[in-house]
Amino acid sequence: MIKELYRTITSLTALNGFIPLWRRPIALIAVISTPFSFLFFIYLFGGPSKILIGAIGGILFTIVNASTMLQTDLLFYKLDLKFQQVVASTPINPLVYMFGLATGNIVFTLPGLAIFMGIIVFQSHIGIIQILAVIGTLITTWVIFSMFSFLVSTRVREMRDIWPISVMFSIIFGVVPPIYYSISALPGPVQYFAYIVPTTWAAILLKGIVIHNFAGVAIPALVFVVEMFCVLAFTSRFSDWRLNRT
Amino acid sequence: MPIPLESNSLKKIYRNRGRTTTAINNFTFSVKDKGVFSLLGRNGSGKTTFVKVSTTQLTPDEGYVKVFGKDVVSDEKELRHMISLVPQESRPFPHMNPYEHVYLFQKMNGNSREESKDRAESVIGLLGMEDFAKVECVNLSGGQKQLTMVAMALSLDTQIYFLDEPTIGLDIITRKRVWNAINKYRNAGKSILLTTHYLDEAAILSDEIGIVSHGNFIKQGTLDELRSGLEYDTRVALRGRTDIKEFEQYGRVFSDESGMVLFTNQENVEKILSDSFVRKERIEVGPIGLDDVFISLVGEDIEVD
Repeated sequence: MIKELYRTITSLTALNGFIPLWRRPIALIAVISTPFSFLFFIYLFGGPSKILIGAIGGILFTIVNASTMLQTDLLFYKLDLKFQQVVASTPINPLVYMFGLATGNIVFTLPGLAIFMGIIVFQSHIGIIQILAVIGTLITTWVIFSMFSFLVSTRVREMRDIWPISVMFSIIFGVVPPIYYSISALPGPVQYFAYIVPTTWAAILLKGIVIHNFAGVAIPALVFVVEMFCVLAFTSRFSDWRLNRT
Repeated sequence: MPIPLESNSLKKIYRNRGRTTTAINNFTFSVKDKGVFSLLGRNGSGKTTFVKVSTTQLTPDEGYVKVFGKDVVSDEKELRHMISLVPQESRPFPHMNPYEHVYLFQKMNGNSREESKDRAESVIGLLGMEDFAKVECVNLSGGQKQLTMVAMALSLDTQIYFLDEPTIGLDIITRKRVWNAINKYRNAGKSILLTTHYLDEAAILSDEIGIVSHGNFIKQGTLDELRSGLEYDTRVALRGRTDIKEFEQYGRVFSDESGMVLFTNQENVEKILSDSFVRKERIEVGPIGLDDVFISLVGEDIEVD
């Protein structure tokens, strides 16, 4: 059972990650260009002291952006290639399908994540426990937004609808939340909205782990994990693996 | 042993932004023996919807479908171990080659590296795809891409294969490769549900044929049974003639692009032939074929997709 699960996930990872990356390595640039541009401007206007904040924001933005963009791949495979129909008529579990493709998707971000992690470690001198906590936070973020992407892809009926939707979610999840700045910088009503978005808690957690050495991370960590289970439950309940809505 | 396929009072309605479309109104039929069962019908007759319901993609609104005794809704998990699908208008991944498609699809379904490799090589050999097995699909022709999708489906060791227009866009040589593969699977005791617009394909491959129209299942039988169910036994094609009224006394007349087609009985043929001979007209006479059965049952003019 575990062996079969491993084979399913690795083959989907190869299909959506290693093979396209091997054949079209240029795609790497598309994934990491935005967060590195942000880092460049933060350095330019904030100076060297803000590089750490820029790197924390960059590592989180990379994960959120890539996971949000997964919905485009999923929808393309469903509507254009009809690959989801092929898979849905096999015993492969929908969530396993999603995680396999999401893992493949994350392959493109690995070089960027490694560079940002290097900058974070170099700038903050964090230890192994903090590094593991950062990785745990990033994995949870990836799970939340991959599931969300899966949910969206199962509900959208036409390919042309996904472009504005993915851009909108990219802004809601990647730009509005206080990834690169403090939440207090946001106007009052937007602050309340930002607290609903999981990215906000991920950002608070990462800053707490890296900058404040775990100070004040308990409540954000709890909220973040609760949000993950809520998204999991929501996805299981409302995603439509069958084609009744397409 | 449960029968391969059973559909009872099946109804499927699509609902989209307040609009409803009845794709299947009433499909009641059963396929009692293994082998190739073809569904024939015009575009929008419900063939693809039936395949989607049977392969657990869509839930029925009324009635049920059972595949080897398993209900497509209540037994969906067990059923998915027994079926394999080529969806209509499906396409391979542009960045992968056909071998990778089949190999990874095998691994995805839990097979080991060796099993996947053996199976991929075997299916690629069976379909004669060796020449382009390692070429990225973005560089393949439409037919080669379609063959890749067929190879993926046939690579699974299941009891029944749902092939929704698997040969669309293939040239005749490639179509024959697919036919050979289907025949091999049939001879190996597998069941195949085939939807097709090619009537010759259905006639050549099928053990039984089902005819559907406007969401209703009209008739089923072997080619001979379908033929014998008709009122007429002979087909006469009259080139250049348009005077339908004159021939109505002999049977059922349709106009087509090059003249008329008359369904009649053998005793009338001599009279029609002599009349045409006198007028020096070109005429073709033959037994009723599947296309004639189809037109007669579906009751629409001769233009079949």
